[in-house]
Amino acid sequence: MAYLINRLLSVALTLFLISVITFAVTNILPGDVAMMIMGTQSNPEALAGLRESLGLNDPQIVQYGRWIGGILTGDWGTSLVFKEPIGPLIAQKVTASALIVVMSMTIALVCAIPLGVWAAVHRDRWQDGTASTAALIGVSLPDFFWGIMLILLFARGLGWLPSSGFVHPADDFTLAVRHAFLPSLALGLGLMAHLTRMTRATMTGILGQEFIRVARAKGLSERTVVWRYGLANAIGPVLTVAGLQVGYLFGSIIVVESLFNYTGMGWLTYQALLNRDIPLIQGSVFVIAAVVMLANLAVDLLYTLIDPRIRLA
Amino acid sequence: MRGFLTPKGLIGAAIVIIVLAIAVFAPLIIPDKLATAMDMRARLSGPTLAHPFGTDQLGRDLFYRVMLGARTSVLIAGSAVLMSIVIGLPLGIVSGYYGGVIDNVLMRLVDTLLSFPALLLALTISAVLGPNLTNTIIAIGIAFTPFLARIIRGEALRVAQMPYVEAARAAGTTDAMMIVRHILPNIMPAIIVQGTISLAFAILAEAGLSFLGLGTQPPDASWGLMIQASRDYLDVAPWTALVPGAAVALTVLGLNMFGDVLRDVLDPRTTS
Repeated sequence: MAYLINRLLSVALTLFLISVITFAVTNILPGDVAMMIMGTQSNPEALAGLRESLGLNDPQIVQYGRWIGGILTGDWGTSLVFKEPIGPLIAQKVTASALIVVMSMTIALVCAIPLGVWAAVHRDRWQDGTASTAALIGVSLPDFFWGIMLILLFARGLGWLPSSGFVHPADDFTLAVRHAFLPSLALGLGLMAHLTRMTRATMTGILGQEFIRVARAKGLSERTVVWRYGLANAIGPVLTVAGLQVGYLFGSIIVVESLFNYTGMGWLTYQALLNRDIPLIQGSVFVIAAVVMLANLAVDLLYTLIDPRIRLA
Repeated sequence: MRGFLTPKGLIGAAIVIIVLAIAVFAPLIIPDKLATAMDMRARLSGPTLAHPFGTDQLGRDLFYRVMLGARTSVLIAGSAVLMSIVIGLPLGIVSGYYGGVIDNVLMRLVDTLLSFPALLLALTISAVLGPNLTNTIIAIGIAFTPFLARIIRGEALRVAQMPYVEAARAAGTTDAMMIVRHILPNIMPAIIVQGTISLAFAILAEAGLSFLGLGTQPPDASWGLMIQASRDYLDVAPWTALVPGAAVALTVLGLNMFGDVLRDVLDPRTTS
């Protein structure tokens, strides 16, 4: 119980720090919101009036207080580009991105774990060489390059899947998955390469340990030794690394969603950044950082469920 | 040192040296004219004898442009990583060596910064400062700092608990001397390994930023920019994306291979 309370307090403190950093980074902008609304050619007096009415002349700390107060009470302001309230706008885009984040993570884990185990079992033989080389090339290619190749192959070449656009899963689930598939694969391939390397390294370490030799000496089948004894011990670290990659994914979706015109959180953030839509930048950056932090927390808690040796203390 | 004499080490080192050589010498050898010459009759031409890598939408030779792009990518990635080490080193050492309240406060801040995806942080800083070459370096440099500070702190903490540090302290060594004489030399291998791996990530980050129009700006040649420009011509001229994409991939691959081997040689406690 004390652990949980401690943990929650720590989450609250981190969220507070995230909000401060978000606000600080976006407030060193040379222009301000008033200039964004009225344009650079506007009448200086009107501009000064708008600044006053928006409270832009108040001290930074007062402005921060007003912003965080709005965030807490659900008033996230209005996007300058989309002319819509930011809260609902972000909520809608987050669900779109959740689909490709979950799909890409699934693709990555489903392929990376068997591949990494396979490489570790055949350590230093051709199987290991092939898998390790493929994984090394995989981590070296930028996501958007994967994306372009996938568009060329599956959309333009074979015509199997759409190369751009977003369909809401509630409207037509199959079509939504078809639209989400190529962006997810573009994100998933790089991640898969990374996790394959991680699984291989962890498994190699574990397969060299005493208890594996004991298991083999007992006459257990190789399959039981590798999967029940080996992987059961490797899965924790692998899942932890996978969880840490959620942050990487939320960075990459900015590039990949823009490439595929997939109107999720990454696309929204990119539009906000391109148009210097300050309130929307603040909202999006805050939400992404908060989601990443909470995802890492979830992985920590999950870890304690998977590995009973780790007690909540 | 034997680790370098593996195929992985040799190929990795060769790629890194070749890319560095191209980055340094290509702009000196290739006349500007060749890289910017527009051959309108040969727009989006496929690989030919005259243009071995084909041409782009303005009929410019892709071979020359990808060579010139190397300088931008290497310059930005190198400066950004250097910057993150210069900022991260004192933060990490102070945190790891002194511990206590300073460590708690600094690492809480670093952990919070790590919640921001590096690419998002770099894009935001670049958009806020206004995208150009210098600001791209600053953006990537700041975005990579928390990660390096974390690694350096861990290493400093480990070294600070070594018996020889204790012995030196008993002999009356001052903190400043201790950091310079004992901590710094012993965390250097880890910094070199992480720096090399970070270079690979920085090359990818620069390409990503430029691809989104928030990094290097024309007329500078950059691999990310070239891929961005190719998007409208993918159907007719896929090589306009493949050539710069391959350049990024090969460079990052070389750095990753070299980094793996460096880690095996310098920092054997961790495996690749």
